[in-house]
Amino acid sequence: MDKINVDHMLAIEEPFIKAPLEQLKRTVRQSQRQVERETAQVSAVLKTLAKGGDGVATEDMAETLNGLVGRLKALRENLEEAKQEEALLIQRSKQRAADLHELSEFESSTHPEFQRWCRARLDRVLIDYMLRSGNVVTAHKLAATGGLEHFADYSLFSLVMSTERELCEQHSCHGALQWCAENRSALRKIQSPLEFELRLQEFIEMIRVSRTPEAIVYAKKHLTQWSDTQLPRIQRAMTLLAFSPDTRCPPYKSMFDETRWEQLALEFRSVIFQLFNLPAQPLLHLLLQTGLSALKTPACISDDSTEHNRNCPVCQIETLGRLAKDLPLSHHVHSNLVCRITGERMNEDNPPMRLPNGYVYSFNALTEMAKLGGRVKCPRTGDAFAITDAKKLFIS
Amino acid sequence: MDALVRDCHKLSKHQTASTQKAISALDTAIKQLEQVHSQLPIIGESACKESLEKAKEQLDSTHIIASEQLKELYGNVSKYGKHVEKTFKMDLSFVSESKAFEDKKDILAQSILLHFLREGDFETGNSFAKEAGLELPYETKAQFEEMYNTVSAIRSPEHNLIPALTWTVQNREKLESHGVSLEFMLHRLRFLQLVEQGNTIEALGYARKWFPRFGRTQDATEDGDVVMAEDEQPNYNAETAGRVAMTHATHSQLEEIEHLMGIFIYARRLDSSPYAGQFIAQRWEDGAHAFASAFCTLLGLSSSSPLSVTIGAGARALPIVCKVSGLLRDKRVEWSQQNELAVEVPLPDDMRFHSVFACPVSKEQATPENPPMMMPCGHVVCKASLDKLAKGVRPGAIASGRFKCPYCPGMSSLADAKRVHF
Repeated sequence: MDKINVDHMLAIEEPFIKAPLEQLKRTVRQSQRQVERETAQVSAVLKTLAKGGDGVATEDMAETLNGLVGRLKALRENLEEAKQEEALLIQRSKQRAADLHELSEFESSTHPEFQRWCRARLDRVLIDYMLRSGNVVTAHKLAATGGLEHFADYSLFSLVMSTERELCEQHSCHGALQWCAENRSALRKIQSPLEFELRLQEFIEMIRVSRTPEAIVYAKKHLTQWSDTQLPRIQRAMTLLAFSPDTRCPPYKSMFDETRWEQLALEFRSVIFQLFNLPAQPLLHLLLQTGLSALKTPACISDDSTEHNRNCPVCQIETLGRLAKDLPLSHHVHSNLVCRITGERMNEDNPPMRLPNGYVYSFNALTEMAKLGGRVKCPRTGDAFAITDAKKLFIS
Repeated sequence: MDALVRDCHKLSKHQTASTQKAISALDTAIKQLEQVHSQLPIIGESACKESLEKAKEQLDSTHIIASEQLKELYGNVSKYGKHVEKTFKMDLSFVSESKAFEDKKDILAQSILLHFLREGDFETGNSFAKEAGLELPYETKAQFEEMYNTVSAIRSPEHNLIPALTWTVQNREKLESHGVSLEFMLHRLRFLQLVEQGNTIEALGYARKWFPRFGRTQDATEDGDVVMAEDEQPNYNAETAGRVAMTHATHSQLEEIEHLMGIFIYARRLDSSPYAGQFIAQRWEDGAHAFASAFCTLLGLSSSSPLSVTIGAGARALPIVCKVSGLLRDKRVEWSQQNELAVEVPLPDDMRFHSVFACPVSKEQATPENPPMMMPCGHVVCKASLDKLAKGVRPGAIASGRFKCPYCPGMSSLADAKRVHF
């Protein structure tokens, strides 16, 4: 009987719980800031209106008041939206936690409910993979068939995708910069230079099209903020003013390189994942890597194909076997014996039996074979023996 | 995890209440300001000032209320966040740095596609092939077509089991020889379906027709009724494996039949019967899944999806590897660069496909150069350990080259030890 280590099994689900939590924190923080700022500002305007009321024309005052009402209404709308968003995120967290919690109700890994739970786990890991790799339709299909809609962070990934596309295809930093502005304090906390890199890129683009004066103004405004940490790079960037975009001088050539856009996209992705507590690689990669390693034995990579087992994932030489190629082997300090005939585990209840030719099979397999007249045939060499010649092995 | 669910529940209640409070405070302020605006043309200057001041006061109190509410909400969210932190202490980051599949994305995508196909999930498979730009080989499609039709019949709203049953009965011998006990599962589903539809008589007839077979299988095996010809060499492994598995299965099937037949007592009120739990929605998915798996086995594919087995193994391995990687971090070794994992990952029996012999003396894995050797007493150690024993490194060795087995009083010598192939 194989008991389930619930704590261990849930540990890997961390991103699914933390991602909505981080989103939730961000949403509440944002509306908090918005409320503070907007109400304080509107109140300040009212104060000046009340004080300096003399001489202000009624029409002007009416217009100002109208503007203020508009501002408050917009704030209200934002709050309403944030409320919906928060409710959705909380609901999602709750459903996820409830689904994951089911695990603790299964007694052993042979429980059919556990098999179902595992199937759902694979599906949600695949959904995560599909969303990350931009296969959104497939992600939707998987979520719909498995009833796993609450495990798909569509909005988060669609933001990542659209921003990346904007960077790589349209060569525009607009969306990325806006996102940076919304998350400035969080970015500062993890000391991410993402915003600097984006600003730098906009600066480079100005130089590329020879808008030199504009570039200098831009540098003054946006790059100097970073002079504490990025001074050498700012200086190098300013040197671009002296070089043309087709320069072959290495440091400047690389700055003019179009592939910088792709690097920016990668950087953006890694930062947003970091902020939302998502691993840099899809969970599928992590699980596959360690899973393949844990399953990989010398027999799987043997040139002798009779050593392979068609049920073993690593022995699928065309697919998973190729993924496992450079991964480490499993480590064993205890023996684990599997009968070549039945695939059953050999242990005290089903002991390994050695035939006179040295080959070992399980007690169950040999007694089953011997029902046909007491003789057994070694499937690997073809030799036949009396079952009484098989010797029981003790493996400690 | 249970606590997190409760946290979310509380959080959700609190969120609705506090944002609502903030919004209605805002509403009051807006209303007052609108009022001032509409009265502006008719009231005098001093009255105007007064009402402006009032509006400002109102707004200030709104500011305080809304900020407080949201602050409290944030506080509750971070409290929940702290519980989450406490529940998830594992640091997955060491492992996630590795880029093992960077240049193997195509193979990975291909493996995922095959997984969808073999699970009978053609729609997802097709959609993925299209989005990821993968070619679906014609033969693969043709191979799986029958399976797809059958599986979709099970998944359809009518849950038509007939195509699956027909296929299973047709392939009964092959399935049994592979130790696949699909037939009983499908009959069981069909039987329950008939009972659920109220066709009690038909269900009874169905039980009479199909269930006794599963009682007989056991007799047949015990009487040696199933004769296996000597020259059936290629199927040898599979046949024996199948029969071992079937013998194991039959007993529990008989028990299940007894359990099922009791349902007639409750046929008119299934919902409140002890059998209510039999009619869960997932049973169709289980059936579809079992059929797909049996179909793949007969195609010569692995009996369960390699991807799902690997992910299952990975879910067990990842936390352990993470823990050890954390410990090894100081030594600056990256786990994926090693030749072998640093730690043993215990896997359940159905995830073990190859024999691994680790010498109980040296704890080293056997290799062709250092093979496992059996002593006359039946205990097995590796050759290198045996040589050491013979050299008298261990107490109990006798000059004659004979030595005591480390695990029992039996005596052995190098010449007595025999090679073992697992």
